[in-house]
Amino acid sequence: MKNINIPFQASIKDPPVSLPKYKKQTANSKAQTINILIGGAAGSGLNILENLLNKAFILNGYFIFSTKEFMSRVRGGSNTVLLRISNQPIQAPCWHVDLFVALDKNALPHVQERLTERTIIIADESDPVMEDKQKNIIPIPMLQTAKNLGDIRYANSYVAGLLFGILTADLNILLKSVISSFSEDTQKENEISMQEGYTYSERLKNLSLPLIPQNSLSPKDNFHLLDGSSAIGFGSLLGGCNMITSYPMSPSTGVLNFMASMSKKFTLLVEQSEDEIAALNMVLGGWFGGARAMTSTSGGGFALMSEAISLSGVSETPAVIYLAQRPGPATGMPTRTEQGDLNLAIHSGHGDFGRIILAPGSLEECLNYAYLAFELADRYQVPVILLSDQYLADSINMIDNVDFTAYEQRRYIVNSDTNYKRYTLNEEGVSPRSVPGLGQGIVGSSSHEHDERGQSTEDYKVREIMVQKRANKLKRMTSEAHAPEIQEKGSIAIIGWGSTKGAIFDTLQSLNDPRLFQVHFVWVHPLNPEHLEVLKQSKMNIIIENNVSGQFADILKGHGVHIDYRILQSNGFPFFTDLLQNELGKIIKDIK
Amino acid sequence: MKHPLDRADIDNAWCPGCGNFGILKLLKEVLTELELDPKNTVIVSGIGQASKTPYYIDTHMFSSLHGRALPVATTLKASNPNLNVIAEGGDGDMYGEGGNHFIHTIRRNPNIVHIVHNNMVYGLTKGQASPTSQKGFETGVQVKGVTSEPFNPISVALALKAGFVSRVNIGNYEHAKTVLKQAFLHKGYALVDIFQPCVVFNKVNTRKWFNSNTHELENDHNSSNLSMAMQKALEDNPIPIGIFYQSESSTFEDNFYGDEKKALFSVSHDFNKLQVLFEEY
Repeated sequence: MKNINIPFQASIKDPPVSLPKYKKQTANSKAQTINILIGGAAGSGLNILENLLNKAFILNGYFIFSTKEFMSRVRGGSNTVLLRISNQPIQAPCWHVDLFVALDKNALPHVQERLTERTIIIADESDPVMEDKQKNIIPIPMLQTAKNLGDIRYANSYVAGLLFGILTADLNILLKSVISSFSEDTQKENEISMQEGYTYSERLKNLSLPLIPQNSLSPKDNFHLLDGSSAIGFGSLLGGCNMITSYPMSPSTGVLNFMASMSKKFTLLVEQSEDEIAALNMVLGGWFGGARAMTSTSGGGFALMSEAISLSGVSETPAVIYLAQRPGPATGMPTRTEQGDLNLAIHSGHGDFGRIILAPGSLEECLNYAYLAFELADRYQVPVILLSDQYLADSINMIDNVDFTAYEQRRYIVNSDTNYKRYTLNEEGVSPRSVPGLGQGIVGSSSHEHDERGQSTEDYKVREIMVQKRANKLKRMTSEAHAPEIQEKGSIAIIGWGSTKGAIFDTLQSLNDPRLFQVHFVWVHPLNPEHLEVLKQSKMNIIIENNVSGQFADILKGHGVHIDYRILQSNGFPFFTDLLQNELGKIIKDIK
Repeated sequence: MKHPLDRADIDNAWCPGCGNFGILKLLKEVLTELELDPKNTVIVSGIGQASKTPYYIDTHMFSSLHGRALPVATTLKASNPNLNVIAEGGDGDMYGEGGNHFIHTIRRNPNIVHIVHNNMVYGLTKGQASPTSQKGFETGVQVKGVTSEPFNPISVALALKAGFVSRVNIGNYEHAKTVLKQAFLHKGYALVDIFQPCVVFNKVNTRKWFNSNTHELENDHNSSNLSMAMQKALEDNPIPIGIFYQSESSTFEDNFYGDEKKALFSVSHDFNKLQVLFEEY
């Protein structure tokens, strides 16, 4: 075999890569926001409406944030989309809303608790709720209009037009989006429906809704609109991902879909495996052959991958696993969110070996850390788990322009010589990794305890040396771990990890209490004790986690960090900033 | 007898007289006679006595987990289509623990050779029934004898329209060699189920038993005829050996790469193109 030139070849001796920096979000204490909730059945076109309105509102110069909550069914039931429209960046959902639009009669009972006496409710004139004289309800003829056009689904466009009218946004911008959102044969009807909704809004001019200045965004602000799944996908491509093997499972499937769509444009193998066991073993086969492979799954599927994570550990075969959490145990709630699988991720796989767990909390972090997952897997030859959840995967937010050329490409593989040994002991603690067919040597990878060649062994001295070799890698990974992001320094640390980043940030902005400072962890395992000093020195530590026990809090306690309060939740929802503000406000009120 | 493909400094863990020795010799000879470069050949194995094979032959290897050789081999081949890839293990490994992968790997049709050492018993765990153990076979676990119907890998593979379906008896060495060579020359997934004796734990299906209970498929067997192959696969007294069925179709790698087969270690994405795609969001 000839030696082959490897593009972007790097070595463990190179310093760790640095991640591109994104603009820090500006303080939004002057934020003026209108919060709109739209409720309807699965399959009724809520997603189309969400995308349509998001794009059109941005073109009108608003910042937007949207998130959905939905049932695990294909048709029927009652789902909602929350749209937050603002003059400032918004990073989290709220519970109570200013405006509620009921697309059908099941919608209102489903969201009752999210409405206040100030909430304006818009529903079809035929909705039974019209008989309720207590409520602030506005009837609209959306169903009749849609029926006249030939299909009740045109009601969605009617609502879009109506909302545009209420916010006095530019209807022409909305009309333009029809072309990209609807098939050609329904565009005309959707346009008419939008116009009628817009016209009808003239009658609703006296609504007491917050006023938001338009054109907070200018066209030269190069913002992009995407969900967490797509950001993970872009980041994975930045990491050089050229293989994804997965078994579909909510809420991870968004990444699989994204990568599949990209496989038409890049050299990227996408395979739906027979089960999650095959999925991760395929990832290992890919990396062993020189690919950069990943799998996507949720808790139940990840549990099946446990054995192969162990194989990755002992054979020192890199792997990237995207784990989008949903509430368990077992099937749990497939379409809801939770941060309940941190302990599973840390402890999965039999035996003792190192792995890295990264939990991004924003679109920027999804991009950066998905990229980094591939870099770290290759650098240390370990499994790297990207921990997300349904909320982060499915929420849509805005991201500043991304400079893709700012991401350094690296490949940690070598041509082998005739004396090549896959598990060579060296000072760096990480053996140069070759792949079959690259150079003159033989590559022997093994699931058994093995010697430097990869031959299985039961020699206790070799065993001790190899256990120590793998333990040394863990030390190196720990020393190169990323510190938590600390927003501003105060005396009370508000600690979070992963997808709670935005909710905690927005909450602290609203509370505007100089004692509070946010400490956000993305690199959640292994932790570098030096990075925890700030928490050991702070007067008080309050942790916010979306699980019942405070899994990360317990880990921090194990490192000697005092945890004074735990704000925990496990109802399947993400944290809502308005509710979190109340809860945190109560705790800190009495602290001197 | 020394062979150029012998791996140096090894401690072979098989029992004296084990059928695995014959299969190891067979594999080395076939690779050499077909002039397949060992530096371009990988054996992916599972766990079990048969799965120790790659430790004793000087090709690349990935000794993976019990039952998991096929998914590893499939994407290994896809990540570098220039490699000769072999998935190798025993009957418990490939048909029991890895049964689901067996089914779906056949459906994918990667261009790999799948070698299954079939001795109708578990060796490494010391003598329990395997999926291919015959009814009535008594073990320390199956104390009243096996009651489950034996797994027939040939008929299962045929039902899935596997591209190359064969069975040999290591006791019929030259015939086995002819068939294994054909498996390597076949483009696509090729199953070679190899009968071998376990001299320690299977006192029923011995070398002598295999020799007297198998017979080579007749010369007039038409290996392009699926229904004839299925008919033969269901015969069990005596058990036919040879190539039951052969038919080439596009492989897993073909479907991915098309004509431009390039090892993925030399692939990198065009970030400018990614930038342009991102601008659409």
